[in-house]
Amino acid sequence: MSEGKIKTVDRATEELIEKAVKENIKTVFSRSEEVKPCPIGIEESCCKICAMGPCRLPRTKKDTKKDRIGVCGATIDTVVARNFARKVAAGVAAHCDHAREVAETFLKTAQGEAQGFTIKDEVKLLAVALDFNIEVEGRDINDIAIELGEKVLREFGKQKGELVYVNKAPKKRQEIWRRYAVVPRGIDREVVEVMHRTHMGVDQDYRHILLQTTRCALADGWGGSMISTDLQDIMFGTPVPVLGSINLGVLKEDEVNMVVHGHEPLLPELLVTASREPEIRKLAEKVGAKGINLAGMCCSANEVLMRHGIPCAGNFLQQELAIITGAVELMTVDVQCEMQGLMGVAECFHTKLITTSDRAKIEGAEHIEFHPENGLDTARRILRLAIENYPNRRHAVYIPNHKQDTVVGFSHETINYLLGGLFRASYRPLNDNIINGRIRGVAGVVGCNNVRTPHDSGHLTMIKELIKNDVLVLTTGCAAMACGKAGLLTPEAAKEYAGSGLQEVCEAVGIPPVLHMGACVDNSRILVAATAMVKEGGLGDDLSDLPAAGAAPEWMSEKALAIGHYFVASGIFTVFGTTWPTLGSDRVTEHLFKDYEDMFKGMWAYEPDPVKAAHLMIEHIDKKRKALGIDKARERVLFDMAMRRALG
Amino acid sequence: MANYMYEEKEGFDGKKKKVLSGTFDEGKPDTRYDWKEKLATREERIKYLKTALRYWYSNEWYGSEKNKQGG
Repeated sequence: MSEGKIKTVDRATEELIEKAVKENIKTVFSRSEEVKPCPIGIEESCCKICAMGPCRLPRTKKDTKKDRIGVCGATIDTVVARNFARKVAAGVAAHCDHAREVAETFLKTAQGEAQGFTIKDEVKLLAVALDFNIEVEGRDINDIAIELGEKVLREFGKQKGELVYVNKAPKKRQEIWRRYAVVPRGIDREVVEVMHRTHMGVDQDYRHILLQTTRCALADGWGGSMISTDLQDIMFGTPVPVLGSINLGVLKEDEVNMVVHGHEPLLPELLVTASREPEIRKLAEKVGAKGINLAGMCCSANEVLMRHGIPCAGNFLQQELAIITGAVELMTVDVQCEMQGLMGVAECFHTKLITTSDRAKIEGAEHIEFHPENGLDTARRILRLAIENYPNRRHAVYIPNHKQDTVVGFSHETINYLLGGLFRASYRPLNDNIINGRIRGVAGVVGCNNVRTPHDSGHLTMIKELIKNDVLVLTTGCAAMACGKAGLLTPEAAKEYAGSGLQEVCEAVGIPPVLHMGACVDNSRILVAATAMVKEGGLGDDLSDLPAAGAAPEWMSEKALAIGHYFVASGIFTVFGTTWPTLGSDRVTEHLFKDYEDMFKGMWAYEPDPVKAAHLMIEHIDKKRKALGIDKARERVLFDMAMRRALG
Repeated sequence: MANYMYEEKEGFDGKKKKVLSGTFDEGKPDTRYDWKEKLATREERIKYLKTALRYWYSNEWYGSEKNKQGG
């Protein structure tokens, strides 16, 4: 591996990359040097949807004005728009298939057929039931839950009408969506229609393709992702602030280490339950371990961290490194963001790699399928395998001595509670502090890690710049974990990193300047929190009026594009870093970056420099403040009686 | 009062002021604080939805969106 190039800003990661190099173990960091990005693919100037191609249509240096057209006559604009649409649809499919699995398990839980699962949060159940127009008065909770489960599952196969959650958005936003006919009808239908329209010889107007892409993305943000978040909250509890610890240093040399990696929190929840059973703990002692140390990786980590305080071993680019410690007995993987390279690394150690979803296998890994009917038994079986594997450690264990305390679990309900208490819960204090200028605005910084950007550096540089400028940051996914490792998710961080206005508010409320709101499906929590801000009043009557912006500085997955696109379609200015997948077509890029502002009042931007990107967001926030008339500090005037009389 | 900590900060007039510092308990919490547990009955839970989450579950709120609709 080449020397000198910075690969990460995280010390634990750096130490384990060095160990991997020394021991000649291939990781994502070494592979990224052997495989360079394809110069045509990076700007999506290649069409391979029919067998007359693939048609490679890169820009030529000699004749930049030359039309770039495929064998069938498809223009570069059509090709790039189709590729973008398919990426968004894949991201939507990922979140929504996660939602389907959760909804099916939820219904089985309500019917008493899911082992180990219960309805934990009745308040949330009642709220979601009301969203779905279900009568709740005098009814048993399981009865309500069965009706809710059935209605939610219908959202996937619905052919006409509108998704139920669309009604949660501000009224003005709903009108914009209806004006452009992008209100999603049914979740699966929108994904299927993107795939159909981008088939050879169907939709060949890039603007029309992008409208369906928008409808599809909205089926994620105001559909699948929101369903996942809400039903998971009902089954496992709505997150409240909890203290946890994060980074590879959470692994323990003298305990059985088991890492849960992936996205669906169903099996991880049962692993938490089972790992606390006295019999399982006794088994661990029997093999000479001091206990069982369950740790999370990626969004599964976010889920169990924010609900149980289970330690988080790290984010996306740290998955192989956890195994390289030599201390991991077993890693479970379900769906999304699991590198096939895990298997090769696991083979170098004693680590068992277990795939658990019927939708995802990895060649060479053991497959133990999770089904809700016998979920708890499966969890116990996997834990026993981990315990039995403890005596098989064959390498010297090296666990970096780096971990950080972190406060997580800021659901939109909890933010509402923290701002106003139980009986006066309200977003009013937040809105007031935005209006008076202590808080300049709000930013959602979310998304993945990408090995083409130094690990965690994009997130941290951008977020530090934002909070320094009094922008409150809401975060999810791998971005949230980067913040946790760097100490930004503690109330004390406000004093060290935030501007004076944001610092005052954080100190008064007792919150960090960066709020951890969960996993990547939980970006729906940000939409709901932003909607509450609009509905509370004083900051306009649409999401696009808010002094707010979004970003994913280290994005890499198709899910990130789906998230970004539903944020844009919801009226939020959204900046992506690292790379941008429509640069092959000026017209498609211009449409998404400029025309979308006229149409949806939200638009995309691309800026790989995280400081410049933060400044783009701040400029946008300031533009919105000006439009609201809150851009200038106003002198406070105390009215005397004569002035009051003059008012009348 | 004797146990309170104070720190020095600069006031609006530029002069140094002695202000009350953090009043939180030392140490780290070992349990999560689930504020929803305070809502013990179905009635209380529904009431909470109609007040705290009034934006969606009640007609009694006065945001700018609502005012423009004449609500």
